[in-house]
Amino acid sequence: MMRLLRTELYKQLRLPRTWVALAVVVAIPIIITVALKVSPPDTGPGRGGGERGDGLFRLATQSGLLIPAAALRVMSEFFLVVIICMFAGDAVASEAGWGNLRFLLTRPISRARLLTTKLIVAAVYGLGATAMIVVAGLIAGVLAFGFHPVTLPIVGINESTGSLLGHLGLAVLLAAWGIAGVAAFAFMLSTMMDNSAGAIFGAVGFYIVTSILGAISSIGPMRYGFPTFYGGAWSQLFQGASFGGDMWRNLLVQIPYVLVFAGIGFWWFRRKDITS
Amino acid sequence: MVDTPVAIEDLSKSYGTVRAVDHLSFSVEAGQVCGLLGPNGAGKTTALRMLVGLVRPTGGETRLFGQRVTAGARELRRVGTMIEHASFVPHLNGIDNLRLYWEAGGDRFADADVDRALAVAGLGDAIKRRVKTYSQGMRQRLGIARSLLGNPELLVYDEPTNGLDPQEMRAVRALIRRVADEGHTVLLSSHILSEVEQVCSHAVVMDRGRHVAAGTVAELVASGASAYVEVDDPSRATSVLAALSGVEAVVDEAPGLVVRLAGATRPELVAALVGAGIGVQTVTSRHALEEAFLGLVGEETERHIGEGA
Repeated sequence: MMRLLRTELYKQLRLPRTWVALAVVVAIPIIITVALKVSPPDTGPGRGGGERGDGLFRLATQSGLLIPAAALRVMSEFFLVVIICMFAGDAVASEAGWGNLRFLLTRPISRARLLTTKLIVAAVYGLGATAMIVVAGLIAGVLAFGFHPVTLPIVGINESTGSLLGHLGLAVLLAAWGIAGVAAFAFMLSTMMDNSAGAIFGAVGFYIVTSILGAISSIGPMRYGFPTFYGGAWSQLFQGASFGGDMWRNLLVQIPYVLVFAGIGFWWFRRKDITS
Repeated sequence: MVDTPVAIEDLSKSYGTVRAVDHLSFSVEAGQVCGLLGPNGAGKTTALRMLVGLVRPTGGETRLFGQRVTAGARELRRVGTMIEHASFVPHLNGIDNLRLYWEAGGDRFADADVDRALAVAGLGDAIKRRVKTYSQGMRQRLGIARSLLGNPELLVYDEPTNGLDPQEMRAVRALIRRVADEGHTVLLSSHILSEVEQVCSHAVVMDRGRHVAAGTVAELVASGASAYVEVDDPSRATSVLAALSGVEAVVDEAPGLVVRLAGATRPELVAALVGAGIGVQTVTSRHALEEAFLGLVGEETERHIGEGA
């Protein structure tokens, strides 16, 4: 299993699009940091604002430790979804597209084991990409705004550097897991298609549709069950809240999606006639 | 007792209402180089995919070395394959592709006898280039190298010269012949009759998913011996030849006649025609296996039409 895992990790690492994706996740936090340094947000009284991640951006210049959170917030709403769906959607469909799947499956390995390995590889790269946003943001943020705690008694925030680092680690896990249901959908499509673009775009489409439906309040409580509804809940960690509430809901709501989509993927792939 | 490398028993595969393979049975014994011969769409590729566990049979079973084949079966370790054209991870070089393929099975690349496989393929320094820069012929040779990793006992090749130019075809056939001479059992599908005739010791003929005939290539050729003649009076020549003993049939194939032989020789045909005062312009032997194949598949077609009527 370890040898198979190593070969799959290597194969994904050598894909040009993996490097493009990883370059994007490193570049965007740096660009955000430069933008905030050159043009800091107005933190004066009465500057509420309801834009995406706006609260985090207004706080970001207080400490370099908040830059990665702001970068993760803005990226987890689209770029990170596309990147994680790419890793999941590539898993089987890219092999089929190259025509290499039929050779791989003439090795004495069970399909379930191969698929498990590919799922692990997708998870490792997805989690790795999320972590790289935070690491890049952390380095750029600390260089630009310093390494110090955040104390804002007016808004009830009093975070030590240790606490902020702990929250960043937790944010990586929660943000990546918040995309797990959509990624599992990409993975399922990947087992059914011979073209990874189809699996990736299908999953991104699923994300967009559930996000739009989740924003329509007249739909009622049904939207709370969408995999995207609580995706950004982790950002409350940086606005004075502790772990709980919507963050728990985000954890739990992903589970059935992951189980059902991945389960269908395994079922399908084990029965599939390999004709590509 | 040595287990039969390939045993296909009553194998069937349907896609909806289309029956790609229909109660197919044959076996390949150790050391044989067996050609699976049939026209395009005969079900050869589907049969080979079922043999190596890529496709699930609708009925019957396939066995490798006595063990029933399932997806990822342990016996696949003893088999090297090239199903349809050789495909690889395009952004990796040749040697990385071989390594990843081999290690995916849980084996150490150091145990794959890669130097021998590379020597057979003869790719030289190109092995360090990305596969996407390879010609189709180079990919096929790398595919053969991949199939030889670990020195497997059985090699399964599906249309190995498809899409190649004549020069590449000749190189790949020579490669397969060389591998066969080293003692591997080979099962090779092809719709190119001369390829099977050049490379194989045995052949199984398929048509419409069914087994039509099997035997040594020499036996199949003997069953279809024929001659092609061009004469100045075809209609009288037909009567003369049909009356000759040792002639099974005379078929008009303008501008000449195809004479199916059942003991008569070409000199006897010429003597009979000249004796009857008929001018003979050309006498040639037809491509032996081609004639046999057309005869066998033709009979199968007639039988199929008869059953349908």
